[in-house]
Amino acid sequence: MRFRFCGDLDCPDWVLAEISTLAKLSSVKMKLLCAQVLKDLLDEGIDYDKVTKLTADAKFESGDIKASVAVLSFIFSSAAKHDVDSESLSSELQQLGLPKEHTTGLCKSYEDKHSALQDKLRETSLRLGRLESVSWRVDYTLSSSELMEVNEPIIQLKLEAQGAESGSRETTVVSVSADKFRVLLAELKQAQAMMNALQ
Amino acid sequence: MLLVLSEEHKLHLAFLPKVDTKVVGEFGRITMEFLRRGTSPKIYEGAARKLCVPVEIVQHGVEGLMFLMLESSKHMLTEVDFLDSVLVLGFDEELNQILLQLYLKHRSQIRSILSHLPSSLPSYHNLEWRLDVQLASRSCCQQVIPMLTMRLLLTRGYDSHSDYSSRVLQTDPSTLLYLISTLEEALAAIKTSHARRILRNIK
Repeated sequence: MRFRFCGDLDCPDWVLAEISTLAKLSSVKMKLLCAQVLKDLLDEGIDYDKVTKLTADAKFESGDIKASVAVLSFIFSSAAKHDVDSESLSSELQQLGLPKEHTTGLCKSYEDKHSALQDKLRETSLRLGRLESVSWRVDYTLSSSELMEVNEPIIQLKLEAQGAESGSRETTVVSVSADKFRVLLAELKQAQAMMNALQ
Repeated sequence: MLLVLSEEHKLHLAFLPKVDTKVVGEFGRITMEFLRRGTSPKIYEGAARKLCVPVEIVQHGVEGLMFLMLESSKHMLTEVDFLDSVLVLGFDEELNQILLQLYLKHRSQIRSILSHLPSSLPSYHNLEWRLDVQLASRSCCQQVIPMLTMRLLLTRGYDSHSDYSSRVLQTDPSTLLYLISTLEEALAAIKTSHARRILRNIK
């Protein structure tokens, strides 16, 4: 059976198994658990003590707690990834056996945070070598050991970026002469015009 | 199967019947901590002072107990086999029962610690990807080149919780299709009758 929220693929077996675990919670507790899992996905921090308290009534062991958090994270992130609207999500989850009240609560939370979740996922998409900051300085060279009167402007550029392979911050310092810098600026302006045309 | 204990090992363990059962339990706890986190000489010195025996005797006793537990867990000894192996040491029944209980309680933990020991090749942890289209470059405007960029995260083999090594890869769609078909062929190899026959015999 193909499900849209799984990207038009079969639903993984573990998700099917854990949906029956979720059904053991009351629908109110389920809605609160969804709120906690959404906070975790949006990087606002998850409060594990609250989660433990919510699941204590249904006597979840630590394995069950982890499984229910995992299955909710999967459902939310996968549905946001494939841009599934909440009615389709609701009908698909009910097909998988999640009771109606639980599904309604889950889909309401999903709908509220749908665009925030997609923005967060867009931010965390793979990007290599992200540029963090640029700083510059213009100097004027008066003279040097080679030539007594140089009288040339020169630009120092400091680029801080995340290394492409390592992911840690790397600083690159370059000094550019006036002519080279004019060429650089013209090329970058061309690229900027292309980017603006796409937006 | 029975464990064959060397003479030296039997000598080291000969310390155990000379102390009471509570101390043996304490030694068991020190042994498990040793397996989980290693040990420090202070623990041995403290125990030696309390029992008024030299530090080496305490150390040998703990290490002998630990080796006994390790070997029994490694070979998955049943209760009967464990008792038979320990019988050769000539301990009394109560001590044998205590050792048996210690073994049974910690067997699965010891086995999981042992299974992490052999070093292995870096294994898959995560794959992030993005699909881009190159529209222009400095030398050539008006291009359309689709590209897939991937970051493969691998664990470093010996410890699944240490830092991950990452590899950045880039491919065009036709290489990607070839990659997918090769991996699917590999997956299909599990379903051949030859592979199934072997898996059936291992189980």
